[in-house]
Amino acid sequence: MKEYLLTSPMVWIFLTLAVYFLAQKVHVKLKWVLATPILITVSVLIVLLLALDIDFETYDQGGRYISFFLGPSVVALGVLFHEKYDEIKSNLIPFFAAVTIGGVSSIFIVLLSLIWLESPSFIVRSLAAKSVTTPIAIETTKLVSGIPAITAAVVIAVGIFGNVFGVPILRAFGIKSEMAIGTALGTASHGIGTARALDIGRSAAAYGGIAICVNGVVTAILVPLILDGFNFL
Amino acid sequence: MLKSLGYIMLFLILGEALRHLFHLPVAGNILGMIFIFLALRTRIISLDSVKPAADKLLNYMVLFFVPYGVGLMNHFDVVREHWGALALVVTVSTSMTLIITGYIQQILEK
Repeated sequence: MKEYLLTSPMVWIFLTLAVYFLAQKVHVKLKWVLATPILITVSVLIVLLLALDIDFETYDQGGRYISFFLGPSVVALGVLFHEKYDEIKSNLIPFFAAVTIGGVSSIFIVLLSLIWLESPSFIVRSLAAKSVTTPIAIETTKLVSGIPAITAAVVIAVGIFGNVFGVPILRAFGIKSEMAIGTALGTASHGIGTARALDIGRSAAAYGGIAICVNGVVTAILVPLILDGFNFL
Repeated sequence: MLKSLGYIMLFLILGEALRHLFHLPVAGNILGMIFIFLALRTRIISLDSVKPAADKLLNYMVLFFVPYGVGLMNHFDVVREHWGALALVVTVSTSMTLIITGYIQQILEK
């Protein structure tokens, strides 16, 4: 009976939902940046699986029903983009220039620093898309044969880094415009980082939201092409 | 809600089908995202017809990538061996991307 339940997809789907639900409550109570729902949920589930000696493949028999919805979520970002599009209309060219150059820089900085560190190819392939929103980063990593789980972990860390240090770093470098702070947070540290833009103001949040979509597209298109160009990797 | 989820699935299928058909090096859901944006811009579909499901999906996006996060349990050895590279990418490359993007937007914007 115990064996049956612990290896059943429905039990792991339930536990994922239940732990995430509780993690959201904890997050609201603690208001502590490291206590994000995703970090709590993933840690609790990993500890649970290790303690019960259940492997990831068994968990994912249920988990994949949940992660399936990442595909439609990416499509939903297109709807968000449309909704916020009018707010950036007056700054269309600066905005697209900033996000595209920022997004391309991110890819090259990652590639060059990992080549300099002599990291193996699968690390480079797993990290090239690290600035963009998790579902897009995961899809891109699959396309270039990296390891999606490593991408997910690094992308979440990037988001938390941007959320905590993004605004102080930008201010230290003299970047004070609300729109520029939003654009930078959205381009470099996706949704988790951009959550901070809400504290700055409405236009920061709008620019951040669209920057997530635009850099997602830029990165998804360019990473496979650039990695093809670096074919020695 | 049903209609809007139907539309989103339809655009996802469209993106995946085109990627498969033309062997495009871009994920199908990204193509779906671009197409739904264009369809909304050109008023082929209305915002009301897709908004209910889109809002729900975006609201729960974090939940959807939990299984990938849990997948890290299979790769603890990679993290142990390459934590320096991972930490460098997270801190240095994210900081530089922030500064480059913010700087360009600030000098160009009106």
